[in-house]
Amino acid sequence: MLIESTAYASRWRDVAPSAKALFALGGICAAWLARSPAMLAALTAILMLAALLPARVPARTYIKVALPPLGFLLLSCLTMLTAPDANGNWHWTSAMLPTITHTALRSLAMLAALLGLVLTTPLPDLLTVLRRLHTPELLLDLMILSYRMQFVLQQAWTESHTAQSARLGYRGWRQAWRSTGLLAGQMAVQVWQRAAALQSAADARAYQGTLRFLPATHPQAGRHLSYAAVAATLMVALALGDR
Amino acid sequence: MNAHTLPPPLLELQAVCHTYPDGSPGLSDCSLTLRRGRRYALLGANGAGKTTLLQHLNGLLRPNAGTLRYNGQTFDYSRNGLTTLRSRVGLVFQNPERQLFSAQVEEDVSFGPLNLGLGPDEVRQRVAAALDAVGLRDHARRAVHQLSFGQKKRVCIAGVLAMQPELLLLDEPMAGLDAPIQNELATLLDGLAARGVTVLLSTHDIDFAWRWADDIHVMAAGRCITSGPAHELAAHSEVLAAAGQRPPLALTLHKELVARGVLPHGPAPRSVDAVLDALRALPAFESPGDITA
Repeated sequence: MLIESTAYASRWRDVAPSAKALFALGGICAAWLARSPAMLAALTAILMLAALLPARVPARTYIKVALPPLGFLLLSCLTMLTAPDANGNWHWTSAMLPTITHTALRSLAMLAALLGLVLTTPLPDLLTVLRRLHTPELLLDLMILSYRMQFVLQQAWTESHTAQSARLGYRGWRQAWRSTGLLAGQMAVQVWQRAAALQSAADARAYQGTLRFLPATHPQAGRHLSYAAVAATLMVALALGDR
Repeated sequence: MNAHTLPPPLLELQAVCHTYPDGSPGLSDCSLTLRRGRRYALLGANGAGKTTLLQHLNGLLRPNAGTLRYNGQTFDYSRNGLTTLRSRVGLVFQNPERQLFSAQVEEDVSFGPLNLGLGPDEVRQRVAAALDAVGLRDHARRAVHQLSFGQKKRVCIAGVLAMQPELLLLDEPMAGLDAPIQNELATLLDGLAARGVTVLLSTHDIDFAWRWADDIHVMAAGRCITSGPAHELAAHSEVLAAAGQRPPLALTLHKELVARGVLPHGPAPRSVDAVLDALRALPAFESPGDITA
């Protein structure tokens, strides 16, 4: 939800999604190729600053969204710091430290590249890119429907939850458990009904078997793409120079 | 209206019956006729069968008995037949949440025209025109879930307008909208009717039906119990009572004022505002009890 609203508010919202995807891809390739920790750190900084400064993603949001994957990364690094000795006892070791630094920095750079893409590109635009890359129609239809249903169901859940609270459904833990159970059961019915309703709504508009929508146009896509290509090439060149 | 001047029927229902699979009744022996270029209101209480009827007109539901004809031809329920029918008869559902399934406004509006097999340029042009018509051009690239209820409803209408139907069906279009948006919507529908689009909307608001429609079909218990020009129908209070409706407020008010000699005899105004305008046109007289400074 936070990612989505940030993407809509971002200053890069109207930049061609293909250009943003190319830039992110350049970042990922460069992170893959780069060797020295300094170069990886520099790439991370470039990719982060691109999202924070020209794209104007608020720093607070950026950190909030980055925290869960960072936590995961930290946990993985900590496990690599422990190793069994000859007697099978676990203890801290710094033998792996260079590998850990390298892995952590590479993950960070890739994370920054991906965050830069998803925090500036709403999902519908990402779907357009996937469609142009000839992703199977069925998969895209599923993504579109899941995306839309997520909001429809979230609203249904919130409304029912509010209605239950208004009738004291959550005054104690016992009631809360009961209400949550009822709500979950009710949601199953809701999903069924809404799916049927969407089917007839699609039929009413001459549905032919695939969900077809008009992709958004980006008149400046050519210019954006060339900027992105230059930036991506620069990053990859830097990484190659580092080898 | 004289029988000779009536335009030919666009869509006809003859003795249509429908029972839902769970046994609940939908339509029973329902017959009505829609003619090209007119504004129709389908008036009835909740559960009278309005939605079931609309879903029949668009081919979403099939009758258990009886026939439907479009332009004199019996409905063709084959895949191609239904596509043709639905390209001519557009249906706007009551709950926008159940109609909109794509993420972005522009995308959702493009869904219908693309299904008709039109090229991207034509579709783009139609989407822009439809969004213009409902006043949402500036919202074309917004996410559907960020819109208000009224805006979502207008996106639904745009999605059907973009298919350029000859007959536009709207299920309770005014439900849940505030008065200014209702007026805007009525103006939009008037504009469509002026361009030759036949409009049928279902409503349980007799004051709106009386104010807006050329003709009214009254439904009760799955049947169309009477049809006719709004000005003739509204006076038949016994028929309206059978459908659970009171006569239009403007009509009742006008009648009382005429009976008391306040307003002259004449055709009844279509809205309370029109009655008030007629009253304001009368010379004001000072009552003896007035306090003057």
